[in-house]
Parts: sequence; structure tokens; C-alpha cells
Amino acid sequence: MKISEIAKKTGLKAINESEDKVIEGVYISDMASDIITNAKANVLLITLQTHKTLIAAANLIDVAAIVFVKGKKPGNDIIELANKVGIALFGTEDDTWTFASKLTRLGIQ
Amino acid sequence: MGEGMGTCNHKWEMTDILYGYLVVEGCPRCGGRASFFSTEPVAPIDEYKEGDHFWIYLGSSQATKFNLKCTKCDDVVHLDDLMGLMMSTCEEPQCEVANIAKSEGKGTSVYVALCANSTHFSGKCISAKGIDALNKYFNQNIKTPGKKILVVPCSKCCDIDICKGIVIADVGLTDIY
Repeated sequence: MKISEIAKKTGLKAINESEDKVIEGVYISDMASDIITNAKANVLLITLQTHKTLIAAANLIDVAAIVFVKGKKPGNDIIELANKVGIALFGTEDDTWTFASKLTRLGIQ
Repeated sequence: MGEGMGTCNHKWEMTDILYGYLVVEGCPRCGGRASFFSTEPVAPIDEYKEGDHFWIYLGSSQATKFNLKCTKCDDVVHLDDLMGLMMSTCEEPQCEVANIAKSEGKGTSVYVALCANSTHFSGKCISAKGIDALNKYFNQNIKTPGKKILVVPCSKCCDIDICKGIVIADVGLTDIY
């Protein structure tokens, strides 16, 4: 399923503009060390973490998009970095469990 | 039985993954930086003399260490000297890393492989074999067309205190809530 379709069906708010990639999986983590050892390319990363190191880790793995839960908002420097490396950023007021449940209901594993 | 190591077109995977702390120390006498990886429950904080150096604790963050293993021939590249990876954002004109990034262009992200001793007094940094394996590992998994990861050793940095970048470590975790 494409990012745009997921965003529409789950009420995500786009933070930046990026390529509308097909999501191949989901990974939930707030730790950069965990992301680089366990996440896969083209996943949708769900996180609370808004530190720059998250983008550095996500880019290394080729993460397609990041969803910041619980209304967390990244700083402009993080948005600029995500734009530079082509990672789509989204925000939601949902907590991690609620948003992950929405993805499950869409059939995304 | 895997392919012969000399002819194998390696397919790397992470192995021997450890989670712990990246501890950074500094020597006020020479300005050197040293780091080590600790798997102790709490990051050790020590001050000690080593030859002409007097190492003091500068900080620590949660981090990970790993080796790379070929799934075809079982060859293992040990990355004992790899203390971390730093996404380069350096634009210093005299910095080799910055110049590499500039010459590579938009689709390439340059990451610096950080070794244990930034002063490189011993002449050692991450091995060429290690850098080669890291490059193949991270690029083999990329799916975005035109995207490339380029890993370079920290010996190419202009100065570890000046060279700009984002170290992949779990800093800022106390800020997320």
C-alpha cells in the first residue's frame, strides 16, 4: 500500500513532501541502535523520538516514511534533513498502539 | 558448504550484535579522543593515566556493535574497531569527507565509520576490509533507485572536533516523553 493511501485512511498529517513509496512493512522503535540493526528498507517507522539521530539511522536503512505519534513534532532542522534524504514525515495524535492497530485493520503487517 | 571466500560475491548480514554503551573519553593534554564499547549495565566512568595520556570521561550513550557475516561463504568481518557511524553533514573546505560528499552528489549519503582513537597516533583506523563490507552491507539492502550509502573511515575527517555529523547513538532518549 502506498504512503498516501495509508495517510488518507489513518488520518496522518504530512509534515513534508516526499516520494509516494509503497510501504513494505512496519517497524516500531524509539532507538537509533535498534533501527539500524532490525528495521528493513521501505518500512514505515513509528516512533516518539524526534532527535536528528533518528533520521541518520532511518536513512542508512532506507526507511520510506516516519510517523511521529502522540502529537510529537520534529524541529525544522530534522525536517530539512529528511527532505534532503527523501524520507517522508507524518504526524498523528494517536499513541503507538492506537496507530499500529489502525495499520493492522488496513491489513498491513 | 559456502562458496570459496576468494571468489564469493558476498551477501552480508549483521551478526554478533551487542547492545551497550559507547563511552567517549578525552585527554586534556593532547586533545585526543578515545572511545570504547561497554556492555556493563551502567556505563563506566573512570579517569586514568595511560602513557602520556590522562583520559577523562566525556560522556556516553546507548549504542550497538556488530560484525558482518556472509550468508554464502560464512566469512566474518570483525568490526572490533568500529565504535559507531556518523552521518556526515560537514562542509569544511579542507575536509576530505565533505569533499567526497560534494563530489558524489545528491543521491549519496556519506557515513563516517568511527574508530576507537580519533587521534590515529598508531596509524590505525577501521580496516579497508571492514569499510568495504559495510558499504556492501548497507547498499545491498537499499530499494530507493539512485540512492547510495558511502561509508568512509574517520581518518578522512578534517578534525574529529570540527568535522560535522550526526552520530548514530541513542542520545536524547530522556527528551522523548
